[in-house]
Order: sequence, then structure tokens, then C-alpha cells
Amino acid sequence: MILVDDIKDIKTSDELQHLPRSTPRLSTVHDGWWRACRSKSRSPERDCWGRVTVHRLLDIFTLMERFEREHSEGFALCAVAAEFMALDGAGIALANDGDDLTSLCTSNRAAGALMNLELTLGEGPAVDASRGNATEDTNLLGASESTWNAYRPEAVALGARAVFGYPVRVGAIRFGALSLFRNSPGPLDSGQSSDAFLIASVIGRAILAKQAGGSTENLVGELNGAAMLDFRVHQAAGMVAIQGSMSVKDALVMLRAHAFGIGVELSVLAGRVVTRTTRFDSESQEWVGDTEGEANEM
Amino acid sequence: MNRESLLIATLVELADNLVDDYDVIDVLTVLSLRCVEAVDVDAAGVMLASPVGELQFVASSSESMTVLELFQIQTNEGPCVDCFRGGLAITNHALSESDGRWPLFTPRALAQGFRAVHSLPMRLRGRTIGALNLFRTHQGALTDDDVIVAQGLADVATIAILQHRSSLDAQTLNVQLNNALNSRVIIEQAKGMICQSTGCDMDDAFNRLRAHARNHNEGLTSLATRVVSKAILSRELDEWAKPVSA
Repeated sequence: MILVDDIKDIKTSDELQHLPRSTPRLSTVHDGWWRACRSKSRSPERDCWGRVTVHRLLDIFTLMERFEREHSEGFALCAVAAEFMALDGAGIALANDGDDLTSLCTSNRAAGALMNLELTLGEGPAVDASRGNATEDTNLLGASESTWNAYRPEAVALGARAVFGYPVRVGAIRFGALSLFRNSPGPLDSGQSSDAFLIASVIGRAILAKQAGGSTENLVGELNGAAMLDFRVHQAAGMVAIQGSMSVKDALVMLRAHAFGIGVELSVLAGRVVTRTTRFDSESQEWVGDTEGEANEM
Repeated sequence: MNRESLLIATLVELADNLVDDYDVIDVLTVLSLRCVEAVDVDAAGVMLASPVGELQFVASSSESMTVLELFQIQTNEGPCVDCFRGGLAITNHALSESDGRWPLFTPRALAQGFRAVHSLPMRLRGRTIGALNLFRTHQGALTDDDVIVAQGLADVATIAILQHRSSLDAQTLNVQLNNALNSRVIIEQAKGMICQSTGCDMDDAFNRLRAHARNHNEGLTSLATRVVSKAILSRELDEWAKPVSA
């Protein structure tokens, strides 16, 4: 994968500019980031936005291109996660209303079996991560009996020796969890640890985009600016949750969908909501106020 | 209260807070508030690095939109970014229109009336996890004593995040950072709901959350989570009265 190897050698934003443009979508990423880098730094030597994050995000997008061709339906991000993390399998569990979890996708048969196992038993890395924080068992054969007593022996029988779970969440909004496994014991190294949080946040943005009626095409452009969301997006989600008498998760999805619909960035729409230029009207179930940059007629 | 007494009271207050299940956002908010008092600056705030190295706002002496915007803009450039990446303090950097160092940050900071910025690294055992950012509206430099005090408070902030873990493996640290950053998101979501329900501004929404949490001995993030899940309604939150300014 020539593109990924080239990226690892980049030292400056100028070098990023001269990478081969393998696909139109990645070309957009390069253009966008190159323009962003150029506008933010006066000296070409200064990289912007953490060189490592740029590289790793480009690696993720490159893998998404490859796997989306192979997985024409369903969610390619499981296969992407397993490959990106250099582990033996990955699964994404989706949180539905209440505490209910379902399997969104798994990267291979073993990952599928492990996901079924923990969803059936109600215990395991994805189950715990979907409700709480990141969790792991780096040695399933170890002596500790404190957690997952039903899950562990079955997981071992399926070949897993280390499992890791990461929440997929935006504040109090829980989209689900990412679970990963390896056929040998041991912790993740520090690079893998950062990678896991990065791919978990990309997965969250992808789920949000899909639930809002968009596609992962939008994701590349969306993450052009920053991996994390503007604080106004979170405030706006809270406001719309009250305006529309809906959950904060539904409010965030509504915001995302409306931003897609009127062709503005999510942070721009959020800014309008927070400054009370735009609001969601519960009675008419419509967005009211300033739309598409036109003057407020209220 | 003279500075020494104020500092002692602050350290006692922080030590008192850093027991049992304390709320990281609340502790860092207290720290930011006391920093403003102790170091003669006009605003203070903490930015933390996410597990992938992006700086994000977690706590401040003020929750006004304008101050939050000054932190939001420091994603790719600004005193916090420079301080975090270099691991070294930035002190007494006077802002001016002709200064091209931070082309997005500087004009906005000047527009808010700030004339100088400082950034102290939050470091422990060789790893920088964030920065304590100070803003000042009036002229004049921080003294060496001021800088020592500010760095000391930044060090306390670092300890608050790391929670006395003796082993600092990357995964444990990343989980702590990710939780702190996610807690801030929950608080922003709750602020939005409270604003919409009660008509107050974001600053007041935060203060109501904090007051209610303290009055009822509940963690700030835990309360914010209950607000977001609508387990508690905004109107049920304790009232909060703005203190009369001298």
C-alpha cells in the first residue's frame, strides 16, 4: 500500500502536498489538510495538528477505501479496525434504546462468535465498555476470577487470549462499543492504545453520519478540521433535545441530518442553534430560522 | 487575604477535594478559579491532550461563550499548543495585532480584551498531558513568584488527572484522559439543556449544575449525566445566585 508508506515519511505539510493522489476521495483529504496546514502555519517546518494523528487518520481512510470495496453492504469499519490495530479481530456493538446491544458488524468468524458470546451472556469487553469506560483483559488464561466468569472460558475456547473494549460515545450519548481481540496474551503498546481511541472516535462519527442519513464519504471531509467536535455541537444537542422533546442522541442525529440537508458543517449549524438563530420547532417538527445562510425572517 | 494565606487555603481546599471519588472537572474548575485569584490574571483554564494528542478544553474560571471560544480555537495553534508540544512554559507573551505567531488565536484574544497570555505545562514523569492557560487584560508582567505559583497549580492539576497512579502505562493514562474529556462533553450537553429549559446563559447553567452538585454531595459529571438522561429536570436544580461583585 504505497500511499500509507509514503505518508509515514512526511515531515512537513509541503511534503503532504506532493503525495500521489490515488483516489478522488483521498485527494480531497490531501487538498483540505494541505490548505488547512498552509493557512495555520507560517513556516513550512511546523506541522499542524499532530503529525501522528494526520498519518493515522489517513491510514484509516485508506483502509476504509479498500474494505468498502470488499464489503459492499454492511459496515466496513470492523475490518478496518482489526487491520488498523494489527489485532486478530474486531466487532462493533450498537446500543439501542435502553440497555439493549446488538452486533453492528464483526471482522471475521471468530470475532462474530465472540460478539455473539458476550451479547448472549451479557458480559464481556463490549458490554462493559458500552456502559462504562474502556476495559480489557490482557490474559484470559490468567488466574483472576473477578470479572467475566462465564465469558472468559468460552472466549478462550474460541481462541482469544486478550480482549479489549472501548466505548463509542459522545459525552452521555452512547452509540455502543468496539471490541478487539488477540490470539496471544499481553497488553496493547502505547501506539496501539492511542490508535484504539482514535478508531473508536472515527466509528462514533461514522455511526452518527449513517444514522443521520449520510454516508462515510462525508466522514473524510468532516474530519478534515479536527477529530473532536466543537463544544457548540454538544450545547446545541442539549438545546435541541429540549426544543424537540427528544433524547440528546436523537437531537445530535437530527442536527447532523439537518447539517447534511442544508449543506453546512455541523459546527456551523450548532453555532446557529447556540446563538438562537436556528431552532427546532417541536409542534411543526421543523427547523425554524436562518437556513442555508439566508437572512433570518422571523 | 494575603497571597500566602490564599495559597495555603487553596492547597488545603484541593487536598480536601482530592479524596475518594472526586470529580475531575470540578477540581480543575476550582483550581482555575483559585488561579485567577492567586496569580493576578483575569481568566484561567485547563486544556488536556486526548489519547491521540489533540488538546481539548476541560475546565475554566469562566464558562462564558467568549472564553470557551478562545479555548476551542486552540486546536492547532495558540499558547497551549506551543506549550504542550514543547513541554516548556510560555510566560508574559504580550499580544499584539502584528504578532503572526498565532494568526487565528491572537485577534480573537485581543477582541476579548486580553493583552497577555501564559501557558504552563502539565507534566509528570516526563510526559506532558496538557496545559494551564492564563489570560490577562491589564498590562504588566507576571513576576517569577507568580510563575512558580502558577506552575505549582498546574502540577496539582496533573496529579488530579493521574490520581496517584504509581504505574503510568499508556493505556491507564489514556483512559483517564479520555474520561476527563468525555466528562466535559457531558457537561456541555447538560448546559445546553439547562439553557433551553430555563432561559439562562451558559455560564449560569454551569454554575447551577455545580452549586446543586455541591449542595447535594453529588459528583458534577454524575449530576450532568442525570440531567442529560432527563432523570432530573433543569427546574429541579438548586437555584444559584450570582455573587455580588465588589
